[in-house]
Amino acid sequence: MLADDMACNARNKYPAQVFNNENHKLNLYGDNVEVDYHGYEVTVENFLRVLTGRHEAAVPRSKRLLSDEGSHILLYMTGHGGDEFLKFQDSEELQSHDLADAVKQMKEKHRFKELLIMVDTCQAATLFSQLHSPGVLAIGSSMKGENSYSHHLDSDVGVSVVDRFTFYTLAFFEKLNMYDNASLSSLFTSYNPTLLMSTTYYRTDLYQRKLEEVSVTNFFGSVMETIHTDSAYRTTHSRKTSETKMPLQESVKHDERRQLINSNVQDQTSDTKIEDKQCPFTRRWNAFQDKLEKIERIDSLVNYGFIIMFPLLLIIMFPLLLISTWLLPTFVS
Amino acid sequence: MSEISPEVPDNRQDAPSHVDPNSTRITKPGVKRLVLTLSVLFSLVLGFPFLWKSVEIYRSSLPFGEISEMESNPSLSFPCRFQAVFINFNSNPSPNHLQLSILDKITELTSNSSQCGACANDLALSVTVDSISSCTQTHPTDNSNYYRCGAISAVDFDFSNDDDDGVDELLESVLGVKNVYSVVVVNGGGEGIRAVVGKYRHAWIVGSVEEEEEESVLVSRVAEIFVKMFVNGGTENGLIHGEFMPVGADRRIVLSFNLLNAEPNDWVYDWDFQRVDETLLAPIIKVLGPIANISVESQVLYHTPKSSFSYWDEKWKSYIFSTKDLPFFVNSNEWHLDTSIAAGGRSKILQFVVYVPSAKECPLSLLLPTGEISKTNGFISPMWGGVVVWNPPGCLNSETNHPSRHTMSREDLQAVFEVFMGQFRQLFGLKSNNLYIGASGTYHLLPSGKGFTEWELDVLSRQFACFNLHSCATTLGSLSRLSLPRMIIMDEIGKLVQFSLEAAKLAQSNASLGDNESSAVSSGQARSLAEDAFFHPSIMSISYYSFEHCFAIYSPFFLPVSMHVLLAALREWKRYKQEKAKYTAWKAKVKVES
Repeated sequence: MLADDMACNARNKYPAQVFNNENHKLNLYGDNVEVDYHGYEVTVENFLRVLTGRHEAAVPRSKRLLSDEGSHILLYMTGHGGDEFLKFQDSEELQSHDLADAVKQMKEKHRFKELLIMVDTCQAATLFSQLHSPGVLAIGSSMKGENSYSHHLDSDVGVSVVDRFTFYTLAFFEKLNMYDNASLSSLFTSYNPTLLMSTTYYRTDLYQRKLEEVSVTNFFGSVMETIHTDSAYRTTHSRKTSETKMPLQESVKHDERRQLINSNVQDQTSDTKIEDKQCPFTRRWNAFQDKLEKIERIDSLVNYGFIIMFPLLLIIMFPLLLISTWLLPTFVS
Repeated sequence: MSEISPEVPDNRQDAPSHVDPNSTRITKPGVKRLVLTLSVLFSLVLGFPFLWKSVEIYRSSLPFGEISEMESNPSLSFPCRFQAVFINFNSNPSPNHLQLSILDKITELTSNSSQCGACANDLALSVTVDSISSCTQTHPTDNSNYYRCGAISAVDFDFSNDDDDGVDELLESVLGVKNVYSVVVVNGGGEGIRAVVGKYRHAWIVGSVEEEEEESVLVSRVAEIFVKMFVNGGTENGLIHGEFMPVGADRRIVLSFNLLNAEPNDWVYDWDFQRVDETLLAPIIKVLGPIANISVESQVLYHTPKSSFSYWDEKWKSYIFSTKDLPFFVNSNEWHLDTSIAAGGRSKILQFVVYVPSAKECPLSLLLPTGEISKTNGFISPMWGGVVVWNPPGCLNSETNHPSRHTMSREDLQAVFEVFMGQFRQLFGLKSNNLYIGASGTYHLLPSGKGFTEWELDVLSRQFACFNLHSCATTLGSLSRLSLPRMIIMDEIGKLVQFSLEAAKLAQSNASLGDNESSAVSSGQARSLAEDAFFHPSIMSISYYSFEHCFAIYSPFFLPVSMHVLLAALREWKRYKQEKAKYTAWKAKVKVES
């Protein structure tokens, strides 16, 4: 979720590029970066919907958190914040009790096994002060009453490019390669309060495992649990192919139907059913309507109708005319 | 004109002329103003309950009692019907004795595992001893489904060649009855005991048994087949394990098959997926119908390198990657696998990937921790899918400088799909190989062309039904406990909960009748409806109607008005009391003077 599209901002001197350092060595907006919620879609409501999974039915899979009970989730939040809140889009706030409630619902629905929350705002540690769910680890860049500061200003681009907490986190990971077994405690203790100008605070009371034993790849690096496949599942199919040829032809037809969109097949079957059940009146009415539809020039029909109407009117109205003009007055007067 | 009473020369008249208006008054104080203000106040107070009712949050009533009842007991009990047939035992053991010993062994084996769906309450075993001379049976309650004497004889088992399929078909024609599991024990054949589990719902043990003590060996093997195979499915997993239930909340699975060309500049491979879909996948999808609604998609991707590294090994003459690299193999940055448009938000997608390495890394083989090269070159990640590394033929020797297009040959495609079948079974918690090593011996499992044998499908249906029901119960329980008292619960959610409870009850009754398939279907519906209710987009804490919100809306209307009315009533009341006091004081004075 990115509220501001800094890479494509009109005032960005380096279009489609965002750097974390003024040496411009690392482009954080590379080819593989996917942003699911941009701009005005970044709201507190959408954020809580992503966490709890309560979307409308039409929301695509790329905008959902498709986690299950074995997933490890990394939640990283940065921006402006304060005592028990985080600011969204300069107009909304995410309260710490809303976040705690969302995490509690996630845990009840088994949407995660372990969750790491990293917050880089002023007074960050207050944002996760109300969490109660087990399996959650949280670290904030500053404690209550402290500010978090940006790292340095890039005078070329004209803005500060990175916050201190984020800068030192990135520096930690750039030093690692895939096969290092760095633990989470080494990450958490790598932050120097003098350099950060704030005190990082992390809470481990809800997390069962010891931080020294947990590797950073538990949350970072998109690492999967794998099981080797021992053997293929082979069947003695040489005899089977000849035996099953006949039924397969039928099944192929079924497959073709299976490839069609399901609703079409259902409509056809329902239409045929309706025809059988119609009563004579509706059948005649439908036949009449079909005939009407076959007439190509409706305008001419209307004109014919008008032309036919006048004589009809005359025939009907003539006796009435007679009565009203000649016969009635004589009777009345 | 004011009325002034005429002066009456009386001593008493001196007193009224010196009356102090601040402390006495002559006439009774009027009540009109008091009545007016009090009536306005009372009408305001009377209207308050109506206002309260009109701003009440609409909460559809959830059946909390039923939900908590189901949550405390979300179990299914399936009946188990077993039969054992002993053929060609000349020592003529007594069937009742055999029945008792088998039942003992069964209860011993089921006591330590508490799997849902196991034959906890309803277990029936029938034993038949059939030899040339006589045939004795224990008396089952329901005769029609069980074995008829003389249907099988020892000559049907051709001991010279291991024609397991033929024996399987023969037994199926004799014993093929739904919901009854059979084990046929035949005395004869060569040395040792050979146990085979067929593709339907029976198994057979062939061995030459002459002495009495080997009878207990046979009994334990029979019991192990019943419990470990037919009830537990050949796995040791716990039951309510979400890790091996890859079915989405809407009972749909999408199988996404991807052919990945790591370096198209070296070679590009294509495959004839349509044929594979029709011949190999269609029967499997049909057979898994009661469990999930499966659809299949496929794509071919290019420029998809992997993110782990490999090294050249001279001994194996190939590039090696080890099991330590497996967690890093899938390169989520470059592999754009999840591009399905057919899958809905709640479906489960399983990715099956064929990885064709580049010329720099070909052939690529997986080294196991035991020091051997993997036969399949593949691995799975639970709830995600599977990967197979397929090396193009002759890649070590070929010198390709230009990209060449090839199609995977039929045999290669067949081999790859056999590995996929094994991985698919692994994803469902079953084993991909054909041998089970139990406590009493090894068992050969016959593979089925549909990917799953009928007894395995029964096990899957039962486990899915149990898991779905458990999940439904916990979801409904969480829904009823959502601690947001001012949250709007719409009628739709109430209806979904009701339908879910009905489907769950139907699943429980179907299970007790022994109908695995419909029980799996209804429990799947129950879970799906419960999840629809819980994940209904209208239940959002941010939009619930808080008390502060209500107060902020209605107070500008009523607070100023009510303040004024209250003050006025209080003032009038005070004035009335004052005037009344003055009047009573005057009356008292008059009384004293008179």
